Amino acid sequence: MSTPVVSFTDERLPNGLRVIVAEDHLAPVVAVNIWYNVGSKHEVPGKTGFAHLFEHVMFQGSRNVGKAEHIALIQAAGGTMNGTTWLDRTNYFETVPSHQLELALWLEADRMGTLLDALSQENLDNQREVVKNEKRWSYDNRPYGSWNEKLQAHLFPPEHPYHHTTIGSMDDLNAASLEDVREFFRTWYAPNNAVLTVVGDVEPDKAREWARRYFGGIPANPSLPPIGDLALPAVLGKERREVVFDKVPLPRVYFGFRAPPFGDVRLDALDVASQILAGGRGSRLHRRLVRDERIAQDVALFTLGFVGGASVTAGWATVRPGVDVGRVEAAFEEELERLGRKVVSEDELARAKALVEADELGALQRVEERADRLAMYATLFDDPDLINRMLGRYLAVTPEAIRDVAATVLRRDNRVVLTYLPEIPPADSAVVAEPVEIDEEVAA
Amino acid sequence: MTGVIATRPVPGTPRPYDFPPFRRDVLSNGLRLITVHLPGRPLVSASLILPNGAADEAADQAGATVLAARALSEGTERYDAIALIEASERLGATLHAEAGWNATSAGVDVPAARLAPALELLAEMVARPTFPDAEVERLRDERLNDLLQARADPRRRADEAFAETVYARESPYHRPSGGTKETVARLDGRRLRAAYTRGVDPARATLIVAGDLSGLDVSAIAEDLFGSWAADRGARPPGRLVDRSDVASRFVRVIHRPGSVQTEIRIGHRGVPRRIPDFHAVSVMASILGGLFNSRLNMKLREEKGYTYGAHAGYDLRRGAGPFSARAAVNTEATVPAIADFLSEIDRIRERPVDEDELRAARDFLVGVFPLRFETPGAVVGALSGIVVHDLPDDELARYRPAIEAITRRDVAMAARARIEPDRSAIVLVGDADAFGRDLEAAGFGPIVVERDEAPVTEGPAEGVDEEMGPVDDHGAGPAEGAEGPADGRPDEPADPNTRSEVDDGR
Repeated sequence: MSTPVVSFTDERLPNGLRVIVAEDHLAPVVAVNIWYNVGSKHEVPGKTGFAHLFEHVMFQGSRNVGKAEHIALIQAAGGTMNGTTWLDRTNYFETVPSHQLELALWLEADRMGTLLDALSQENLDNQREVVKNEKRWSYDNRPYGSWNEKLQAHLFPPEHPYHHTTIGSMDDLNAASLEDVREFFRTWYAPNNAVLTVVGDVEPDKAREWARRYFGGIPANPSLPPIGDLALPAVLGKERREVVFDKVPLPRVYFGFRAPPFGDVRLDALDVASQILAGGRGSRLHRRLVRDERIAQDVALFTLGFVGGASVTAGWATVRPGVDVGRVEAAFEEELERLGRKVVSEDELARAKALVEADELGALQRVEERADRLAMYATLFDDPDLINRMLGRYLAVTPEAIRDVAATVLRRDNRVVLTYLPEIPPADSAVVAEPVEIDEEVAA
Repeated sequence: MTGVIATRPVPGTPRPYDFPPFRRDVLSNGLRLITVHLPGRPLVSASLILPNGAADEAADQAGATVLAARALSEGTERYDAIALIEASERLGATLHAEAGWNATSAGVDVPAARLAPALELLAEMVARPTFPDAEVERLRDERLNDLLQARADPRRRADEAFAETVYARESPYHRPSGGTKETVARLDGRRLRAAYTRGVDPARATLIVAGDLSGLDVSAIAEDLFGSWAADRGARPPGRLVDRSDVASRFVRVIHRPGSVQTEIRIGHRGVPRRIPDFHAVSVMASILGGLFNSRLNMKLREEKGYTYGAHAGYDLRRGAGPFSARAAVNTEATVPAIADFLSEIDRIRERPVDEDELRAARDFLVGVFPLRFETPGAVVGALSGIVVHDLPDDELARYRPAIEAITRRDVAMAARARIEPDRSAIVLVGDADAFGRDLEAAGFGPIVVERDEAPVTEGPAEGVDEEMGPVDDHGAGPAEGAEGPADGRPDEPADPNTRSEVDDGR
């Protein structure tokens, strides 16, 4: 069995916009995705969360589009849309019935070219409040909600831009000004810092003609600032630990590891390793901690791929009532250590790969996902054809590669351990935490 | 000067689209089979729909149906749990089973080339489950722990409190579909088997298979694997469903959560079942009020006031009358003004006709987004599951777009007046009552009850909300109530408010 090959055209307009088009007429729908090569890693101290706040402002209108009208027009066209911000990038996307493609391109071009014409203090203030409520909703008012902030802060040194999350801090959000918006827009939202992908029910020549028509007149930024050297030592060098008291009923232990950068073939092996360790009910951690020993309520392990020096492998186990937290941590660690010591069996590897293959097949069915991946591989690696090669890379992972990456990444001197404990211990359970050394630097 | 083009392009000619044609067969034991050939979709989705849902179970067995579905893969006559999991993994197949309010579904997603062996595992799982006590005990404890977690999570707490506030104690909708601390604690293998076998009657079940089925004789495969599956002596048709509400007048229930930086707001009442004559009018009305991104509620509370990351309203369309709710999480200081805005928007849509523009926008969205909804085999199976579960005619999906097109301002006004009941609404809040209590009293929304349970979280009436919702309850008949709520702007964070289904039983 093989996944269908995604054929595409790939060109650069004179203003630097990269345009990638892939034709697929199975359904009368088409997906548009624009990746801007700017994310929270481009934020400077005192401006954390700004890339994401800016993304919200992109829906507040431009020269020919009113506040919230972008969304109104796409919905009235029968489409869906959104925008997301992440450490390495920001993207905007629409999926529309194919006869509405031109509208989606026009809307994206209008805000790429003329956002500042519609900028107002009122709209910035409104979206600042929305984003603060997003932060409260996603982090501050959610059990265990601070784990991601804490892991990033421990895994990356303060001078590294991955030290802070995309949502940023309330103080920095409060400080964001109209001038910040203007500066950010002029610097980063230029066609030569973006990739446009169009995937679905479209004639490629037509899509490219429209891309030229709508985006061709937008000037490039000839002086895109280079991002500094984000290289990091491959491992943390020393374990870091923090105990967090939170409004949670069950303790949970989080693990974070510094992993190879996104695109590195070792990350392919680490992804397959994660499947073996925590990918579903047949995985090692689930089998041992949840099913056999029954000391955990749930387990997880996955890698978030980043290009700026290191990725993050994160995992957790939620501790069952009455179980010693240290026992759960030790069992979790033992399974990671075992994977780094002994090669996996052919059968176990074959099962993991079969699931990876089916996942890939499922994901690529949707035009929205294909548009996103083409833009991702073009933006981060200048190699959109990776969409056709990633599955092969996963299937080529050897038992030895898994053992080696587990041994070098999933080890104690390369990890952060966060132990979440109930502020008020449940009455009918004995929550036990082992004595831990609190790292003052970040725990404060 | 930047060279963008000022003129908005006009749409091209829409390419005709129809919901994919499907074929019906009946196997020798009466099992209905629906097959949908979707060329170019190599990941096949299959789902067996059984008629037993959580709404049919006895109150003292609450949670048995949901837990029974989860236990199906924990052991069969030929396989123990690990052997079954490993066998499916070797096929690259995801085998799953879940129950919701309306039905139980068991299914598998698998590359087409390995459909037959995957269906064999599915058949084994549904025809010969053993419900081993040791595994059932583990699942039961996991559910009890999940109830603890639900109580600590403000949004799950609010959903749970809203359901128990709106529905009479005798109604299953009063409790979570996964059961309560008291009822779940009593469940064992025997009770799970009884809950499952209520639905084991091939003549009332349907197998749905969608994907690229070229070269596959699905009806022969199904006959071979499912044709000898027999009805269980314990099979029972669903009884009469109690979906009564005893809320007679508007009041406010506050669950005090000290230090909360947001208040979770739920406002609503007993709504409507899926099978109502004005379904399409209700869908359009709910989209305008709180379904679209630029719905009245979201534009007011988010885009004008900045009180929330998203405000929504809609109907949870079940076999019985599921709830209507309007909801948002707002920063604590905005609690009282946000409630006032909710109530005034709810009054406005009942009292004055909607604008022609907003009616057209809602209709255009629901009609236009129709082809986008059915891109994958899983989505097609989900839509057909809704037809089966709600016993809708086969042309329901074909009729959907013309029916939506025909909705008028008058239809919307009638739907709003008939299907929203502000005077019988419960207002349920989970937040820091000390911060907004005085303003809340002054606002006069109705009598106020404040519950302060700062005791350890394992005490008190620990009820939770089911987290495991399958395709059965997901989006009813496909294009159901309202719309998804796309939102601009969110970081790629673990949680995404936009994925919340309007028709799940409350995450």
